[in-house]
Amino acid sequence: MADRTRSKSRSSSVTRRSFLKTLGIAGAAAGAGPAVLRSPAEAQETPFRDPAAKPGGTLRYGVHTAPAHFDVHQSGTVANIGAQSPMYDTLIRRDPRDGQTIIPDLAFKWDVAPDGKKYTFHLRKGVKFHDGADFTAEDVKATYERIVRPPKGVVIPRSSLFTTVGEIVVPDPHRIEFRLTEARPRAFMLGAFASGWNIIVRKKTLDDNQGNLRQVMAYPGTGPFRHVSRRDKEVWIMERNPNYWNKGLPYVDKLEIYHLLPFSPELGAAFLSGKLDYARLLDPISWRKAKEMPGVTAAVFNQSVIQTFYMNQKKVKAFQDVRVRRAIHLAMDRHVLVDVVKDTAPMQIGGFVYPFHEASTPKAELEKRLGYQKDPKAAIQEAKKLMQAAGYGQGIKGLDFLIRGGANTFKLWAVAIQAMLKEHLNVECNLREVQISQWFEEAAAGNFDLGITAIVSALMDPSDYFSSWYGKDAPNNYGGWTNEQFHSLARNIEREVDDNKRKTMIRQAEDILESDPPLIPVAYEQICDAWYNRVHGQNPSKYFGIYDVVRWDQVWMAQS
Amino acid sequence: MQKYLLRRALFALGTLIGVSLIIFVVLRILPGDPLVAILGVEGHAKMAPADRAVLMRDLGLSDSLPVQYVRWMRDIATGELGKSFFRGDTVRDLILHRGPLSAEIAILALIISWLVGLPVGILSATRPNGWADAVVRSLSVLFIAVPGFWLGLLIVLALLFWFGYKAPIIIVQLWENPWQNFQLIIGPAVVLGLAQGAYIARMSRSCLLEVIREDYVRTARAKGAVERAVVMHHALPNALLPVITISGVLLGFVLGGSVAVEQAFGVPGLGRALVVAIVERDIVVVQNLVLLYAGIFVLVNVLVDMSYAWLDPRIRYQ
Repeated sequence: MADRTRSKSRSSSVTRRSFLKTLGIAGAAAGAGPAVLRSPAEAQETPFRDPAAKPGGTLRYGVHTAPAHFDVHQSGTVANIGAQSPMYDTLIRRDPRDGQTIIPDLAFKWDVAPDGKKYTFHLRKGVKFHDGADFTAEDVKATYERIVRPPKGVVIPRSSLFTTVGEIVVPDPHRIEFRLTEARPRAFMLGAFASGWNIIVRKKTLDDNQGNLRQVMAYPGTGPFRHVSRRDKEVWIMERNPNYWNKGLPYVDKLEIYHLLPFSPELGAAFLSGKLDYARLLDPISWRKAKEMPGVTAAVFNQSVIQTFYMNQKKVKAFQDVRVRRAIHLAMDRHVLVDVVKDTAPMQIGGFVYPFHEASTPKAELEKRLGYQKDPKAAIQEAKKLMQAAGYGQGIKGLDFLIRGGANTFKLWAVAIQAMLKEHLNVECNLREVQISQWFEEAAAGNFDLGITAIVSALMDPSDYFSSWYGKDAPNNYGGWTNEQFHSLARNIEREVDDNKRKTMIRQAEDILESDPPLIPVAYEQICDAWYNRVHGQNPSKYFGIYDVVRWDQVWMAQS
Repeated sequence: MQKYLLRRALFALGTLIGVSLIIFVVLRILPGDPLVAILGVEGHAKMAPADRAVLMRDLGLSDSLPVQYVRWMRDIATGELGKSFFRGDTVRDLILHRGPLSAEIAILALIISWLVGLPVGILSATRPNGWADAVVRSLSVLFIAVPGFWLGLLIVLALLFWFGYKAPIIIVQLWENPWQNFQLIIGPAVVLGLAQGAYIARMSRSCLLEVIREDYVRTARAKGAVERAVVMHHALPNALLPVITISGVLLGFVLGGSVAVEQAFGVPGLGRALVVAIVERDIVVVQNLVLLYAGIFVLVNVLVDMSYAWLDPRIRYQ
């Protein structure tokens, strides 16, 4: 049975492998030097237009449930960005063709000072907000002042990307300078500016609402679509912005964004029955069905989410021993864990750095390591030895395993992990499933021994998540892990501007995390999208996450 | 009669106040933080204690419990019913938009339960212990036992995979497009109606079996009335009283069952809104919807009690 599941897992990884291979080639090219890396990743040219595109039509897009509020900056979920982004622009953006290359948006070009401490953006003239107001650098300044230093009661998860931004200066109405207190890698900073979350909003809008837009629906943007109507938890309808600065775009006249629960049969049914043109976050069963349908394209791509297993070092003495944590890390058969949830959510195996990041250990190498091998025997043997050496050869009893509710993946994994730990290490735990909001409350309070959840990052760059996932007293470091060697190295990685040196340092950091696990990476999530072939202009196969390319300005419909 | 109604109204009011207190206290005792849904996991993790205090104040959750309760009662009195924590929409608007769909489902389910349950019950009672009775009794047990949401999912999947069909994905009101509206409500109504119909069938069968043995039924037969007239005109009206009583109770089950069944069918009614609000810890929405359901349940039961006198002139209000 186990062999059969593993072989299924192997066969299902072909697409992933070929994709990683492509990334590997890209990574090798990047390794040739910073200049090589930079040139394909940035393109300061007019945004692409498809000569074959036909204007008109309506795009019916299904994505996530309704947003909990309307403040995109304060949000951390695709519920906001998926529905609202078409109404806004950013300073710079990721090219929808590959999801990676940074291209101009409201800034038509940018300069980075040689010392890396000043980023200047040259802004387009004649851009107007949907309410008719002119767009100027003051709007960018107000937007970024809020993101970098949020007012009281405003929580912006991406503020940490801009911790080195000191002054934001407006030399003239169409130029803005970000002066950094300390240089950061160019790719990191530009990636932060290009994040789809950092939409530009009007200064007046922020002033009128005391910097809090949570309950302000459809505040004016400069984006390709304008708000028409919204039915809570049902649909958000937008129309083409006829005054859009990027003449000729968007192609479609109308956008209907339907709020449907991710991974739900309801979303799958809506797509398969033809009630949607494009569906994001499909469940694997509907996605496989869609893939078999004629006239439909289905893509799977990487998501900026890690599925994590925590061991509370502050509460359980055994977990303070690095050997026990390493043993638990090794006792998990990741290939089985990925297979267990294959009908619930698509997952891939990875270590402590995004497995598809250019600096992470390549998959082939990773799978030779204990804990990642297809045959777990050697890893389990080593795990048993470690437990014995740590004085826990008889196992550990009565651990409280806190499971995040709401998603079937966590339930399935919890049962599988409980069995693996019992069978391999004689570690016994009692499962306790709680609602998502309670999970984070209890985890933050340290009321758990073992825990399972998913956490996210804004960027693929490790400097973003090294601090929030593994940092000392970091927001997602629920296990209370510390390792001075790692923390010091992570600080240096943040500052290192040479890509090659940085890559070496990231590998060193990986090694530390492997030997002294702060948490256990169970798997990395992937996203299933599908669309009817009448939809052109967007293929997310190479995208990272669902938060950067979300505007639909370059999408066109064949039947129109 | 007036005295009776006043007494029942006061009793209903007392029940609703009790329900409101229980919901109010339970929702505030239950663990779970609405800020996780508002800010998302990442934002919640990075929230400073000072920001938390501001957010809780803005939501009105930092006030004392009596102040929060009085504010809720004031919102009910003004008809506003408060605002959702999340998008600032009023609960009144939510109920006005989604309520008609759920009401249609409940009414249609009740009609289906009678249309299916009553004839089946009569058939079963007039031919007791025959093969038809056995089949009908087995089916009624089956429909009682099968969970509505599971049956709903099966129906959705069967329609999708066999016919590529899915009901509309947004609310279409009866007055906007009756046909699309019908497509939205028919699935949940059938599933809920069949389950309730099974209860109606069992109840009407047992009541009818009891009444059929009464002296006045024998007298009717002795007068030479045909069997159909005996059952329909003499036995059935008297057997219906307990069936009507159980229908009131069943409406409660329909309301409760609609929460899961609307979710299974993906129908955006009040039941589904309640599920989402519970997941999001949107206390204001949950407490108002639960109270609304309780209010409907109490009202229906009062109406059922009142209908007794109309159906059986021997019963007098005291």
